[in-house]
Amino acid sequence: MSVHEREDRALRLQRVAELLAEAVTPQEVLDAILTEGVRAAEARAGAIGVLSPDRESIELLAQQGYPGPIMEDWGRFPVSAALPMSQVVRTGEPLFVSTRRERNELFPELAGQGRSAGAIVVLPLAVEGRVFGAMALSFEEELEFGLERREMKIALARLASQNLARSQLYEEEQALRERMTFLAEASEILSSSLDYHHTLGKLARLAVPGLADWCTIDMAGENGEIERLAVAHEDPEKVRWASELQERYPPNPDDPHGVPQVLRSGEPEFFPSIPAELLDEAIGDDLELRRIIDELGLRSSISVPLTARGRTFGALTLIAAESHPPFTEADFALATELARRAAVAVDNARLYSEAEKGANAAQALAHVADGVVLLDPDGVIRHWNPAAAAITGVDEEHAVGRPVGDVVPSWATLTSHVPLSAPGERGAGPVTVPLVRDGRERWLAISGVDFGEGAVYALQDVTDEHALEKTRSDFVATASHELRTPLAAVYGAVRTLRREDVELSEEHRAAFLDMIESESLRLSKIVGQILLAGQLDADAVELSISECDPVEIAADVIESASVHLPDGILLGLSAEGARSIDCDEAKLKQVLVNLVDNAIKYSPDGGQVTIRLDQNGSGCLIEVADQGLGIPADEQERIFEKFYRLDPQQTKGVGGSGLGLYICRELVERMDGQLSVESEPGVGSRFQVALPTGR
Amino acid sequence: MSRDVGAGTRTETRRVLVVDDEQSIRLLCQVNLGASGIDVLEADDGETALELARREQPDLILLDVMMPGLDGWSVARELAEDERTRDIPVVFLTARAEASDRRRGAQLGGVGYLVKPFDPVGIGELVDDVLARIGRGEREELQRGIASEHEQ
Repeated sequence: MSVHEREDRALRLQRVAELLAEAVTPQEVLDAILTEGVRAAEARAGAIGVLSPDRESIELLAQQGYPGPIMEDWGRFPVSAALPMSQVVRTGEPLFVSTRRERNELFPELAGQGRSAGAIVVLPLAVEGRVFGAMALSFEEELEFGLERREMKIALARLASQNLARSQLYEEEQALRERMTFLAEASEILSSSLDYHHTLGKLARLAVPGLADWCTIDMAGENGEIERLAVAHEDPEKVRWASELQERYPPNPDDPHGVPQVLRSGEPEFFPSIPAELLDEAIGDDLELRRIIDELGLRSSISVPLTARGRTFGALTLIAAESHPPFTEADFALATELARRAAVAVDNARLYSEAEKGANAAQALAHVADGVVLLDPDGVIRHWNPAAAAITGVDEEHAVGRPVGDVVPSWATLTSHVPLSAPGERGAGPVTVPLVRDGRERWLAISGVDFGEGAVYALQDVTDEHALEKTRSDFVATASHELRTPLAAVYGAVRTLRREDVELSEEHRAAFLDMIESESLRLSKIVGQILLAGQLDADAVELSISECDPVEIAADVIESASVHLPDGILLGLSAEGARSIDCDEAKLKQVLVNLVDNAIKYSPDGGQVTIRLDQNGSGCLIEVADQGLGIPADEQERIFEKFYRLDPQQTKGVGGSGLGLYICRELVERMDGQLSVESEPGVGSRFQVALPTGR
Repeated sequence: MSRDVGAGTRTETRRVLVVDDEQSIRLLCQVNLGASGIDVLEADDGETALELARREQPDLILLDVMMPGLDGWSVARELAEDERTRDIPVVFLTARAEASDRRRGAQLGGVGYLVKPFDPVGIGELVDDVLARIGRGEREELQRGIASEHEQ
């Protein structure tokens, strides 16, 4: 080889290196090697193949100068094949075959193939000692490969290796950059609105056609059904078509593959190449569906779950069909990341919406008059509305987050008889229970619903209603007692007097006759009171007003009271300067009899009972005073209410119908007068009747 | 009334404590129980009733409910809580006629519930009947019975 030839080769190599330096993408690098490189090597044709990711096969990336459909015929072949490229990739050693005969001996498969080919050279492509492919060069004639020729080819292969690796790195980086850009855009879309239906639709459209031919997003419905939230394709016509298809062939939630499987398991499904048998299985005998699927040309698919807080609520699916190359691990990683971000966004949107609903509900509860208490399964208070705070006297900040037993110590007792109904079920109705707070008894009507993740209780303060009900039942008991006791005595006395088997003593006979008389009167009196109260209520009491002498009336009352006067009671009358008044004499007498009877009844330990008459401005004042038990200040108005009776514990059991004072006040007011009381417990009471004087 | 004194099943005297603030009711009980050969102790309030019950150990107590001071319910509760008196049968004799009152009487351990007005002529027979049934171990049946019994 001449010096000239050597220089020429060096120059050619340099030229290749310069061209390669300008090539950026793998395609540009391949073009540069296969045009300038092949020429520099003085070869007729060249081809470059790379190892598949699984290192099981070799894929032909590009060729230059080979005739016919070589890319189709030799597009991909196994590393294990008895072919030159396969051998070089296996061994990592360059292969120089000088003659056609030698080639046919080494690789019988190639015998009879190709043009009247001469020598071939196959060189490993490697970076950092790792083979990633091979470059083949074919020559017109048979050649002897001397050292220099070999070195030049090896140098060319090295140049090709470095530049291919560089361009691939560039491409990978470029792809990464694109993915990052895509993810950034996706994130921007996801955070642009809380309406996740809208944002997921936009996200699906962003994915096509760059990331996939098709992108769909499906959601798991509440009842296990699958709802398609978004479907995107570059061609709107195809989107319409896909929607129709979805309606005709709705997904079966029990399908063993695809979205149903991902929704069920929460695990992704990745088919770099969709297995034909899988499609066959899905299509079955449906010829129409077969036609559609064939038309779609599904190649590769990725379905990743949308999972937040351990729950899979949807799936994002990418499909490579007519234009997109099959998906790689990188695509799968990107889809996974995209789904993760989408899931977080959807979850946030849902949480926000729930929080908003919760806030609205809380706002509504703030205005509800009933106390509403929400407990979690551990009995910790989760909600405590203002009414609950008012009823219990514990404000929200001291209640929420604490066990209810700590906040209301008697909670367990209070609710032990409250049946918890299930949501929507008609409960047994509230149970009324007493709650003692600050020494006062409040009555609460409590009902509860157990909804599985806790219980909600409604508390209604029915203290007033309860007091009313107690008054009613007290009245029933009192009236019953007041009517039945004298009746029992009368009936019992008659039954006993009529016994023929027993000889009664004279004493007993007399006692029973007295009993009949006095108890009949008592009965008549209580019946009269009940009737009068009814008449007063119906405004059916007729008064005959005339001029009367109050002193005379008072004297009559004192006189009749003195007949059965208990021991220790002293009766008195003081009438100074009283003048005649306008009134119904019988009714005024009835009022005074009642007041004097009360004064005596409520003086169990004896004392002075006095009727005092006096001038009072333009009227007359009649006062009945005693030195008895007295009336607590907060009950002094209530004693005039119908059926109201003082606590028997405080009054040493003195009882009555609860109608006497009600009747007195009603009667006095109908005579244009006023009835009032002044009293001090333990000292005595003064009832005052103020009546207008006569003309 | 023709009580069969000759049955001879009960030769010992029976003593009944009548508790009522109404003197007329106490007198009716005393005369009619006496006619059946039953001794009568009387109390006009709850405190006295408890004291007499503890001291005199009557065979049975006829107990009014609505009384001044300690009412009949409280008396029954205290009788049941005191081991000296817990076995003395209590028959309520009251004007309270509501079903809830009967249930309360049963809960407090009453073995009978007479609503006023009542026929005092039959009261001796009633006392003997209650005592006989308790003697036969039917106390719980009696208790259950008063909650469902119709007004007399």
